[in-house]
Amino acid sequence: MIRNEEGDAGLESLAKRLGTRAAEHVDVGRMARQVVEQLREQPKARVTWIQPAWLRIAATVVILVGLGVVWSHVTPARRPAAVGHPAHYVADDLNDLSADELRDVLASFDDIISSDSAVVPDSSSDFRGLDAQQLREVLRALQGEG
Amino acid sequence: MANPLPRTVAATDAALIAAWRNGDERAAAELVERHARPLARFLAGAGAPESDVDDLAQETFVRAFRSVDRFRGQCQFRTWLLTIGGNVLKDFGRRASRRKVVPLEEAVRDRTGNPHDHAEAREAEELLAAGLQRLPRLQREVFLLRAQQGLEYDEIAGALGTTPGAARVHYHHAVRRLKEIVK
Repeated sequence: MIRNEEGDAGLESLAKRLGTRAAEHVDVGRMARQVVEQLREQPKARVTWIQPAWLRIAATVVILVGLGVVWSHVTPARRPAAVGHPAHYVADDLNDLSADELRDVLASFDDIISSDSAVVPDSSSDFRGLDAQQLREVLRALQGEG
Repeated sequence: MANPLPRTVAATDAALIAAWRNGDERAAAELVERHARPLARFLAGAGAPESDVDDLAQETFVRAFRSVDRFRGQCQFRTWLLTIGGNVLKDFGRRASRRKVVPLEEAVRDRTGNPHDHAEAREAEELLAAGLQRLPRLQREVFLLRAQQGLEYDEIAGALGTTPGAARVHYHHAVRRLKEIVK
């Protein structure tokens, strides 16, 4: 392969002639003056400042977006899907609730059931006859069903 | 303004670059005078229309002087300059295609006068120039750096960020394809 390419003197000599006419037309003195003038008109410092500035802006945007994504994942309470069902909370401190408060909680269950299903059981009227202990048992039973 | 470099003895490129970094405009001008013609030959060989070679060479020098801090001596200044010239030419080709002006390939063939009036050598030269336009950019640049500018593979590899072996392979492929076109 090497011998092949080294021996191809014809192609190389042809290549050496490529562009010689264009090069002959170049006025190097004039070009040197024009290059120096352009360098004066647009100083290097301006160019070198702008490019890192854009890089910094882009990096800041990426970091902010990344932080936003991370924040949305580490704060599940802010996400709608993570909002707990009331039934998960009501039975935590059933012993601390009075009979009236327990009826209110059961009434809120009625609201939830009536919004989720077409058949609405008329159960709230029966709660009035229950004492606090019976209401707690009903609530615990409901939690177990959930 | 920095003190200009004494010009009693021909300064090396490295000394002129260092002087330019310190703000010596005469050093920049001398680098232009020293490398303008090889750069023009390279640009014309790589497909620049003759009428645009001057402007493209100027743009190359301006771009090189502005980014001279990135030149770490991985190759000669001229080789580095030629690779910048390749980028300038690529950008020129993009701008030209957006403006829908004469494509580079056609511009290369656009010689004045009747082709039959040209000598056989000139016709072969034109064939080669047209053939170079059909090569991938890397092959074209490696071929020009090697065959036109006479650079060694180590030097070419340093400038193009590749290995000498890869540069040799690119050159070989370029020669094989150009031979088919020029024969």
